[in-house]
Amino acid sequence: MTLNRTRRRRSQLGALPLTSMIDVVFLLLVFFLVTADFAKKENKLPAALQTEGGGVSSSDLQPQIIQISLEGEQVIYTIGQVRCSDRVSLESVLNQLPRDPGVAIKSAPDVPIQAVATALQAARNAGFARRSYVPGDSSN
Amino acid sequence: MLSVDLTPMIDVVFQLIIFFMFTSQFGDLRRTEVDLPREQGEEETVQQQAAMIIDVTREGTYRFESQETSLLEVERIASAGVMNQSESTPFDVLIRPDRNAPVAHLDRLLLRLSNVGVQKWKLATVESDGGAP
Repeated sequence: MTLNRTRRRRSQLGALPLTSMIDVVFLLLVFFLVTADFAKKENKLPAALQTEGGGVSSSDLQPQIIQISLEGEQVIYTIGQVRCSDRVSLESVLNQLPRDPGVAIKSAPDVPIQAVATALQAARNAGFARRSYVPGDSSN
Repeated sequence: MLSVDLTPMIDVVFQLIIFFMFTSQFGDLRRTEVDLPREQGEEETVQQQAAMIIDVTREGTYRFESQETSLLEVERIASAGVMNQSESTPFDVLIRPDRNAPVAHLDRLLLRLSNVGVQKWKLATVESDGGAP
């Protein structure tokens, strides 16, 4: 009696429909593959846009200017008389400056855009809320 | 009486639907592959998404919604965006440049945007694996 019941259960288990299960597993696989985000996460560096000689009224404090230039292959960041060649030294110089006037970034036309991003990042890390970029007239 | 098994047919139809859905072009696929500047930047929330995204290539061409676009066209679109902006939804531009492109390409674009009244912009960055060069 007990033996008969065990045999019946085994035969029921043997008839488990594998095809539909595989279908469902494939569907789930496709779903997770497609919804997964493989793209690299992008961040942003916000800045104001300011033109040469415009954007700042006479009552405003004049922003401190970071001038970016290229000497050979080396990118140089100049603030007043101080010259820096990397973000860490630029950040330490910016840390000594007052935050209220903000900072404006100007660049020579041949400098790679990475340098502008580095200057914006350094200004942000140093706690400058007012960051602006002054595009040079490179139409010629 | 011949009986047709519908279950595998429905399975196959579903698989085909999914295949064609994901191999077709999506209209909102706006971001193309660009070697972005490597900086930490700021994380963006959904509410802050830029109204206009422009890619700048190393060769000095500009792409809007994956299509190569002239500066004149960029200026026209930005001008319309600035006119329609409000206090709650200011018009801002996200620029995705090649990090090795010269600043001159960025300046040309920003001057055009500035001409039509764009006051804020964002530079797209990607976190570097081992620090910026």
